[in-house]
Amino acid sequence: MKSANELTLTEAREALDHAEIFSLELTKACLAEIQSRNPALNAFLEIWQESALQEAKASDERRARGESLGVLDGIPIAIKDNMLIEGRKCSSASKILENYVSVRDATVIKKLKAQGAVFLGRTNMDEFAMGGSTENSAFGPTRNPHDPDRVPGGSSGGSAVAVAANLCLAATGSDTGGSIRQPASFCGVVGLKPTYGRVSRSGLMAMASSFDQIGPLAKSVEDAALLFEAVAGKDALDQTTVDAKPFEPAWRENLQGIRIGLPKQAWGQGIDGEVRTPVEHAVSVLKRLGAEVVDVELPYAEEVLAVYYIVMPCEASTNLSRFDGMRYGAREHASNLLETYLETRGENIGPEARRRILLGTYALSAGYYDAYYKKAKQVQTLIKNAYADALTHVDALLTPTTPTVAYEIGSKVNDPLSMYLGDLFTVGANVAGLPAVSVPCKEVSGLPVGMHLTGKAFDESTLLAIAGAYEQS
Amino acid sequence: MSLSHEEIKNVAFLARIGLSDEEVERVGKDLDSILGYVDRLQKIDTADVPEAASPVVDAKNFRVDEADACTDAERALIVDNFPASQGGMLKAPAVFERPKK
Repeated sequence: MKSANELTLTEAREALDHAEIFSLELTKACLAEIQSRNPALNAFLEIWQESALQEAKASDERRARGESLGVLDGIPIAIKDNMLIEGRKCSSASKILENYVSVRDATVIKKLKAQGAVFLGRTNMDEFAMGGSTENSAFGPTRNPHDPDRVPGGSSGGSAVAVAANLCLAATGSDTGGSIRQPASFCGVVGLKPTYGRVSRSGLMAMASSFDQIGPLAKSVEDAALLFEAVAGKDALDQTTVDAKPFEPAWRENLQGIRIGLPKQAWGQGIDGEVRTPVEHAVSVLKRLGAEVVDVELPYAEEVLAVYYIVMPCEASTNLSRFDGMRYGAREHASNLLETYLETRGENIGPEARRRILLGTYALSAGYYDAYYKKAKQVQTLIKNAYADALTHVDALLTPTTPTVAYEIGSKVNDPLSMYLGDLFTVGANVAGLPAVSVPCKEVSGLPVGMHLTGKAFDESTLLAIAGAYEQS
Repeated sequence: MSLSHEEIKNVAFLARIGLSDEEVERVGKDLDSILGYVDRLQKIDTADVPEAASPVVDAKNFRVDEADACTDAERALIVDNFPASQGGMLKAPAVFERPKK
């Protein structure tokens, strides 16, 4: 029998509703597992043991009175360290924000609190969500529970590990170029990046604002849907949230009438054998379930990464200019104002974040704007059109989530470009603003492999129905 | 293309990031390889292609333009986050330097 921390969110919900378990039991089981495994995994940067136990007790008392705040009432979850919780430290895994205390709740946090979720702690990440391995944390790397010598992926690596190692029932992540889906793939969990505009970014520390989106990391597709539903919705504090048709699960057992496209350009590129085989097997399962699988054209497969690595640093360099040691965060004491800026940002912002700030500053500087930023935004239009064209013929596009399985810690840190190439299959959804999900493949020989599905804007229902049918097959 | 050390230093100055000489060297190599990669965009014909629009910004979504009060607790958190303060006020280095004699 599963121990309490190993339950899925859905199983725990059912057990709570039938009074077969208490939130306190679930929470204690997660905290015990964190105590035992976090020193080796470094998934959590801070654990909120006392308040978590109090929140669990309050939830149990509500349930005893026949009250419920919602589907997440009493469910212990983990929060990525770039989402503000009033009165709690929030560092984005950066030295410059090591002692920063949030002044207010992010909108997603407000929603999770209103539903009675139990907050276990904040999870490690690449500094300012910049990276694909969680090695860029100022507080040490997180380790993959399937092989502690390997990276968990990133930037939401701490959240992915917390879910995969049963340190929590589900977790929040943020995704700018693959930061939910890629670690989900490396750790063998489900990760959903919703359509841009679905989930409020208010209170999420901004990286590249036109790509950033919050989403769930979970043990099953159904769990991901529950957490997504809980945080989605238009918000007056984020002008880019949209009044779209609300998400409604539309689970299906077979995939009759569903068309899935395999983008030729993506499948032609260097995909490791240990990734290609399980994903091809997943394709055969989808066919068996009744889906029609066809090859589709999706041009600009390589350019999408180039567009991303121009637009993202431009936006990031602008967003990170606020970390200058003046109003909050660390401040180095130097002889004058200019030196204070230079030293504060030079000493307290890590190498990858500095690299992206410099890249963005360069691409936006006088004389280069047209060649880089403007050109990238024009090619982005072509990419959006290419996705829209492809998705008029099919319901979803299918690729591996990543070209390789999780690699060894330290093996790519000195080669940023090779690290960036790992985002090849995930950045497209961000550049085109579409929803995408990574689901663990069933037939793997060793380390986890993810199947990546990209869907139509605001149609997470179909996307998750396909993912769910595969998972349940 | 290759960035000179002077260009790197200038960009770092614009971004207000202090870099050691050794870092200038390393950052130069990193940026060269990334700029080399993104250069493939120059081959794409984008004549008459509009720049991708900003994400949907609906005018109806703007909040009313009025000051939001903050609670005493929020104020205390803001002040506690100041890197330096004096009498509950933010303390920052002088913008204008004392004239040299």
